[in-house]
Amino acid sequence: MNLQRIVVIGAGTMGSGIAQWFAQQMCYVELVDNSEAQLKKALTDIHASWDKLVEKEKLTSCQVIQMKKLLETKSLRKVSKDSDLVIEAIIENLEIKRSLFQELDQYFSSKTILASNTSSFPIGLIAEAVSVERKKRFIGLHFFNPATIMKLVEIIKATETEASLCDALYEWFDSKEKKPALSKDSPGFIVNRVARNFYGEPLRIAERDDEERMKEIDRVLKEVGGFKMGPFELMDLIGIDINYSVTCSVWEAYKQEPRFAPHKLQKQMVDEKRFGRKTKRGFYKYD
Amino acid sequence: MTNVKFKNLLINFGFGTKAEKIQLLKANPDKEIYMDLTCYDPGEFYFQYPQLKGCFAALFCDAEKKVEVHLRERSEDFFKKMKELGFRPVETSIISCGFIFPRTIVQIINEAHFALEEEVASKKDIDRAMKYGVNYPKGPFEWSKGRELYVLTLLQELFNKTQDKRYLSSRLILP
Repeated sequence: MNLQRIVVIGAGTMGSGIAQWFAQQMCYVELVDNSEAQLKKALTDIHASWDKLVEKEKLTSCQVIQMKKLLETKSLRKVSKDSDLVIEAIIENLEIKRSLFQELDQYFSSKTILASNTSSFPIGLIAEAVSVERKKRFIGLHFFNPATIMKLVEIIKATETEASLCDALYEWFDSKEKKPALSKDSPGFIVNRVARNFYGEPLRIAERDDEERMKEIDRVLKEVGGFKMGPFELMDLIGIDINYSVTCSVWEAYKQEPRFAPHKLQKQMVDEKRFGRKTKRGFYKYD
Repeated sequence: MTNVKFKNLLINFGFGTKAEKIQLLKANPDKEIYMDLTCYDPGEFYFQYPQLKGCFAALFCDAEKKVEVHLRERSEDFFKKMKELGFRPVETSIISCGFIFPRTIVQIINEAHFALEEEVASKKDIDRAMKYGVNYPKGPFEWSKGRELYVLTLLQELFNKTQDKRYLSSRLILP
């Protein structure tokens, strides 16, 4: 497999990160968004990030000149129909995604791979919007934020995705700076499922809203376990509301399996609008 | 189990059944005992055995030998001895069945095994996903390798104490 022409749809944080990463692999990237302002902002931010990398001597100015030429912002109707790979990174709304993929299926060549960066919906459910033939070339590619730094990409194989396509993508990402992991199309894929107990168990150890206990749990998990951040400081950073919502969605998807059950403290925090750093109050205070 | 003795002080290392740990405490009523209770609830032991002065969780230690320690009262002597034995004690005041790190890590390990059981991904890809997606220092299978018995014992102990089905173990964790 040789991916050379990439389309990224959605110029938010994830989409622009993904576009930047592909351009850094010297792929030709077309970044698409409904909002002209969003596209402008994404391009400015990516260029600024590259300039900074030149200053830090992580990239050469020659490389950056080339990358800047390789990354273009466009409207959907103007992108190349024969692109190798299209990655959707728009809002997490099933109906909007399905309607977009219906359009993409019609627009792109039959050889183009269509991929979703969703973390919330089964790939098979989104793929229902495309033709039987396209389903074979429909896949989940779940990048992690920031996409230019985090090495993992989860490759999600839906029931009808061709196994050989997954293998080829795995090999391609493996040959670049990424670390691919192949996952079945099941709720939370790998990371959002296995990581749930990094939050759930410490919440049960803490038992109650007690900042000193949480501080101690964070400290022990960092010092003894070698984790870069403790669960409570990490939930505060991610947003307790977002983490709670992911926990609930995985729990519901697994038919309320007790291993994924949310803890009453999470709900209490959300009810009290203590979302973490963004509200200056979560498990910790940020005054 | 291995016992290291210094005058009045006895440090018990390694895995043992609850009955073996209790037997050791009963046989040494006059000693100051410090015991590895990774898979059990220290509170339960403290209540019945005043000779137990502190406990620690060393069964999931890596090469750095950082060990979670809980003491009834601070003992410089115990810290000194642990350091002499190559351990780096990290003190906690929280008494919890399975301490903090072992209890958290066995649940992550258990979920990874459930994911494997459901053929979500291979061992290699699950380890890789956790290391490179959320920066874990090790993958769950790397953590559990050779420690399956401790994982199962602690999950069983947590289930016995709470009757919460979240602690039921995957059938793929084999001692």
